[in-house]
Amino acid sequence: MKKRGIGYGCTFYGTGYGNGFPDVSVAEAELNSDGKINVYVGATECGQGSDTIMRQIAAESFGSSVEIINYYSTDTDIMKDSGTAAASRQTYNTGNALRLASEKLKDRVIEKAKDLLNLNTTVGLKIENGEVFLNSFKATKISLSEIASSLGDEKLREEATFVAHSTEMDEETGQGCPYWPYTFGAAAVEVEVDTETGKVDIIRAASAQDVGRAINPELVEGQMDGGFAMGYGYAVFEDLNLKNGKIVNNRFTNYLIPTAMDMPELEKIIIEDPESTGPYGAKGIGEPVMTYVAPAILNAIYDATGVRMTEIPVTPERLLKALKESETK
Amino acid sequence: MTTVNLNVNGKDYSVEVDGSTRLLDLLRDSLGLTGTKEGCGEGECGACTVIMDGEIVDSCLVLAFQCEGKEIITIEGVQNGDILHPAQKAFIEKGAVQCGFCIPGMVLATKAIIDKNEEPTDDEIREGLSGNLCRCTGYNKMVEAVHRAVEINKEAK
Repeated sequence: MKKRGIGYGCTFYGTGYGNGFPDVSVAEAELNSDGKINVYVGATECGQGSDTIMRQIAAESFGSSVEIINYYSTDTDIMKDSGTAAASRQTYNTGNALRLASEKLKDRVIEKAKDLLNLNTTVGLKIENGEVFLNSFKATKISLSEIASSLGDEKLREEATFVAHSTEMDEETGQGCPYWPYTFGAAAVEVEVDTETGKVDIIRAASAQDVGRAINPELVEGQMDGGFAMGYGYAVFEDLNLKNGKIVNNRFTNYLIPTAMDMPELEKIIIEDPESTGPYGAKGIGEPVMTYVAPAILNAIYDATGVRMTEIPVTPERLLKALKESETK
Repeated sequence: MTTVNLNVNGKDYSVEVDGSTRLLDLLRDSLGLTGTKEGCGEGECGACTVIMDGEIVDSCLVLAFQCEGKEIITIEGVQNGDILHPAQKAFIEKGAVQCGFCIPGMVLATKAIIDKNEEPTDDEIREGLSGNLCRCTGYNKMVEAVHRAVEINKEAK
């Protein structure tokens, strides 16, 4: 018999290393001789999209499009340490460092513009589309490339450090505030359980994630799809099968992960509630988007069958055994 | 050692191989075509997908000497000069690329789908991509990308 059920799962998730561990990101920004902005960030791009959003963050500081940014990453010879691409921390931590560095550079660029335009104050000067101009009299303007060529051998380069707010937990009581910020998310899943084969299919699914502010909504959606697929695999497919401390399923022939045929369409709901300490309000969502998926699926299996599975993955064998046990009770 | 004569991306090659050389090794090591990736080495992940005489194959499971007289297309051979293949364009447009490791295989699988089927359904697309594993994307944007590639093909007609 086929039985359907709906389940929900939700999460709150702390950004960064947490628990008082030093969480430091350094980033640099520099005016290039042609008026473009060189950005130096030690953030590793492993597919999560940091190269793109760091460019966006820096470009935003200069009121310009991403074409103005020359982006350099992952070369320890020419840049400082931005910390690991882990703990969902690069957007928040390194994004913050880069925003600070960009703003420091912007202040110096505006200072130079003031001198070159023979003004007595920087008040009223704005940057947009590669130009510094007086907001009240836009004809008074100078381009970033003109500023750069006026510098001669002088280099305008600024560095900024962002240290995350993180306190140690009390080991005795577990109390404290080990992370900042937290992010929130939830999934809803409808499953169909075949009680004869033990197979679990997902019929409908939705994922909702608080991102603070979506710097790049398309990349956020990509992470949500990817996180859902991982959570789905975690819940019903992926079994390391440890025997005497050794992984038995150590190949793709026996360690099964979802394919394009398994993955359901996913309704993705991006929730924007700007984080006051984040770069333009953003928070990282690399890991959080997968955490609520397995609980939602297991709750849906419970709703469909009345059987509460307490071990994952819920393989057909495990589910059939549990269904049988519940019948004899 | 034996000599195998084959055509890769429109160019004829004559390569010395031994009996255990895989097509994957021939492409990467002998011809320097490193766009084809080795993932699992056992025909499960699809990272090493290439097109052989019009059919997609896992190049880790094909021995080089079996390629005598065959036509092979790798990821380096799908674009036309500077013009990207519709599958490549569509993957970029739809944001279907994350870490990129599976992407050469995915693009070739997409090419194989749209070469054979002008109007693939969602199910046909998912089946066509199911031999290629991806750990980043959750596949949905890739499915959208295949639909988009179909559109790009139509627009070009």
